[in-house]
Amino acid sequence: MSVTGTLYQARPRSSRVLSFLLLGLAVALIAATPFLPNYHVRVINSLLIYILLGIGLNIVIGYAGLLDLGFVAFYAVGAYSYALLASPQLGLHLPFLLILAVAAMLGALTGILLGIPVLRLRGDYLAIVTLGFGEIIRIIVNNLDWLTGGPKGIARLDKASFAGIEMARPIEIFWLLLVTVVVVGTVVWRLERSILGKGWAAIREDQDAARGIGINTTNAKLAAFATSATIGSIAGVIFAASQRFVSPESFTLQESILIVLVIVIGGIGNILGIVVGAAILILLPEVLRQFAEWRILFLGLLMIFLIIVRPGGIVPRSFGPDKLIRGLFGK
Amino acid sequence: MLGYLIQQTVNALTIGAIYALIALGYTMVYGVLRMINFAHGEMFMLGAYAAFFLLAMSIGDIGGAGAIVLTAVFFAGVLLVGLVGVGIERVAYKPLRNSSRLAPMLSSLGVSLTLVTGVQILAGPQPIGFPSFFPTTRYEVLGGSITSMQIDILIAAFVLMFGLSFLVNRSRIGVIVRAVSESRPTAQLLGINVNGAISMVFFAGPLLGAAGGILYASYYGIMSPTMGTVVGLKAFTAAILGGIGSIPGAMLGAFILAFVEVAGTALLPILTNGVLGTEYRDVLAFAILILVLLVRPAGILGETVSEESIVYKREF
Amino acid sequence: MTLAFQNLRKQYGDVVAIDDVSANFAPGMIHGIIGPNGAGKSTLINMTAGSYTVSGGSISLDGKRLVRLKKYEIANSGVSRTYQNIRLFDQMTALENLEVCFYPREVAGTLKEVLWPPYASARHARRREKCLEILRFFDLQGYADAEAGSLPYGRQRMLEIARALVCNPRVLLLDEPAAGLNHHETTELTAKLAALRSPERVMIVVEHDMDLVMTLCDNIIVMHHGKLLFHGTPAEVQASSDVQLAYLGTANDIDDIRAAAQDRRAQLGIRARRRS
Repeated sequence: MSVTGTLYQARPRSSRVLSFLLLGLAVALIAATPFLPNYHVRVINSLLIYILLGIGLNIVIGYAGLLDLGFVAFYAVGAYSYALLASPQLGLHLPFLLILAVAAMLGALTGILLGIPVLRLRGDYLAIVTLGFGEIIRIIVNNLDWLTGGPKGIARLDKASFAGIEMARPIEIFWLLLVTVVVVGTVVWRLERSILGKGWAAIREDQDAARGIGINTTNAKLAAFATSATIGSIAGVIFAASQRFVSPESFTLQESILIVLVIVIGGIGNILGIVVGAAILILLPEVLRQFAEWRILFLGLLMIFLIIVRPGGIVPRSFGPDKLIRGLFGK
Repeated sequence: MLGYLIQQTVNALTIGAIYALIALGYTMVYGVLRMINFAHGEMFMLGAYAAFFLLAMSIGDIGGAGAIVLTAVFFAGVLLVGLVGVGIERVAYKPLRNSSRLAPMLSSLGVSLTLVTGVQILAGPQPIGFPSFFPTTRYEVLGGSITSMQIDILIAAFVLMFGLSFLVNRSRIGVIVRAVSESRPTAQLLGINVNGAISMVFFAGPLLGAAGGILYASYYGIMSPTMGTVVGLKAFTAAILGGIGSIPGAMLGAFILAFVEVAGTALLPILTNGVLGTEYRDVLAFAILILVLLVRPAGILGETVSEESIVYKREF
Repeated sequence: MTLAFQNLRKQYGDVVAIDDVSANFAPGMIHGIIGPNGAGKSTLINMTAGSYTVSGGSISLDGKRLVRLKKYEIANSGVSRTYQNIRLFDQMTALENLEVCFYPREVAGTLKEVLWPPYASARHARRREKCLEILRFFDLQGYADAEAGSLPYGRQRMLEIARALVCNPRVLLLDEPAAGLNHHETTELTAKLAALRSPERVMIVVEHDMDLVMTLCDNIIVMHHGKLLFHGTPAEVQASSDVQLAYLGTANDIDDIRAAAQDRRAQLGIRARRRS
């Protein structure tokens, strides 16, 4: 039997153990965080941001089945929205929630604008064009000095505050991120199980047959792009608020590719997989301190290995939160 | 004025020749495997690094190398990268020949990351000065200045390109490669050594790309681990513009792109009153890429695929 | 409620695949399209469903022209189809393959489904029940939660037809539904298809299996080299000399073939087997 076959067969028996393990790990981590030193909390915040980004990009890659290599553009839209609306740059200091709403809408708009020309392209061409768009946005941001601060970026961003509570310390950002990830994750999970999500699955399987049963594939794919971009933008806002500084350095092509890796390695189409993928990306270099430089090299090799041996990623698509719950309570 | 035009033309030709060497690699791989090889730009980068370190290992004092040593290193370097290309194909792409269409491309993303970070770890992330492989004598032609290096680069590039054309069109290996490009299953049924043909393409493509890398690093005097990314994308744009899968198309696209870049960089500040400067040169290439893919994906010399022959099954 | 082809034409460069075909398909009947390979049978279905562009002429359903519409718009006008090579959504369950057909009618309520779980459960339950109903008609209810790709071939064929029925189509196009089925499965298929006759539905079946066509169809169209050669009831088609000519050659040709076969057997010393 092939390696892939053996790996897949190993799944059912250990799913109960795996469920307990994952849940235990997550609970332990969340409970311990308030007691950890700031440095570690920042690492966990980084992890949560990548999970959020992964959830967003997964809508396009995992659900709709389109390879978007320029996701970082939406991340940048959110981050720079915050930077422009809550800093000395333009002298605006809008409230956090308002910026979040504006950035979400800008993100959706950008997603649709990108989606419209790109959607009738074939898979590999779509990947290249999205990559091109991502790069174009970065170059423009890098050069529009008067607005974006150019390569120097924008500093001294306001602290985020919500209903009078200031969120500037890492542990406060942690709670903000945790709540956001849980809320967005739940909404996206329900989206996948809705009739729209089933439509995306059909498009992913066989786009032509999907059209044949009456699905307007263009609009469905646009909806995927818009939702995904909105989430990316929200992640960008929180990122900017937590760093209180933005620069084009954070929005490179390599960043887009890393987010794709998180999904492809962790498990395409699966929120738990994204958690695993983000954990590998962020936590591994922390655990193996001296090899931190090697992190991306390792990811590249892992990517090649997995594409050949287990193309769905580490966590299989069907292993969703409902399987996790069933695994725990034996339903 | 005429001198200025001559100078810019030679600039464009030089850069175009280098783009062409890289674009040929993209187009050949696509022709034979229908795959976009993201890691091809890294072959370009590896060429420069391979030549540099071969030079360093063989004579120590890089600046004082003579023509014979330089030529030997040039050939050794490109051959080495060619072999690396074959090796990468065997390990990272061959197992995916019957997978979904995007799997090899995703694998090539992994290869690209691995190569860039590998070089960063081994040689450091900072740019390194690169010796000139050619003498840099300036010539004055009708008021414009061109260097002998540019002429040498043009000659070297054209020799390689004609060599490839000859190989593809006149030799038995070329016929085999073209057959595999047309229809792999048919070629297999005819007993053609398909693996050999594909390995050949992954030897020739990276070899040419590496040559481009050495020429480019010579021209600009510098090399860095990330030099393959942007140039690779531009060469890819050239291949798409000319018609991906078409060898004359890759060369045509490369020269057109180079001329547009040179003309654009010169004209952009004038046309926009200084608002858009030369930094937007890279945006030009991306804009062309996106435009071509949206309007005429087949490129100039490519063949249009009719909508009815496209299969829409699961892509990855 | 009729599906009408008017002077339909399909051209690939210099090759004319469909040449001036006109036909009317009335509801309440099962229409068959037969013809030798390459005659253009599947092309007609593909043009009606919008997979192929039309080079000339028109296709209309109740006077509404279908030709300029996009594929999904044609589907939402009440045209459903199956494919020559089964195109199910393999990794989705049998039930999900049917459930997703509710998309055009229900996608607008997605936001409410996501934000309000009771609404989502109610809608999902209603969809599931309707789909199970259709699955039961095809004896597929046992496979409801199995991956479509894991079903036996014969069941997959049935599932594809079941999927085409979810939206209660006014036009049902079946492209070689019996391909690859054994005798028993074909008989079962014939019975199921016969039960689908409805005064609100036009059914068109493209087939090679003559038994099925002659048993099932009320009206048959014979295609030959892209042209409509003959149309009529099964009896008329069987009796038509034009059809015999196209399929088998003339009576003289048949005698010639027999004579040549006898000569060859004599040459090779093979004794003809005596028919008892």
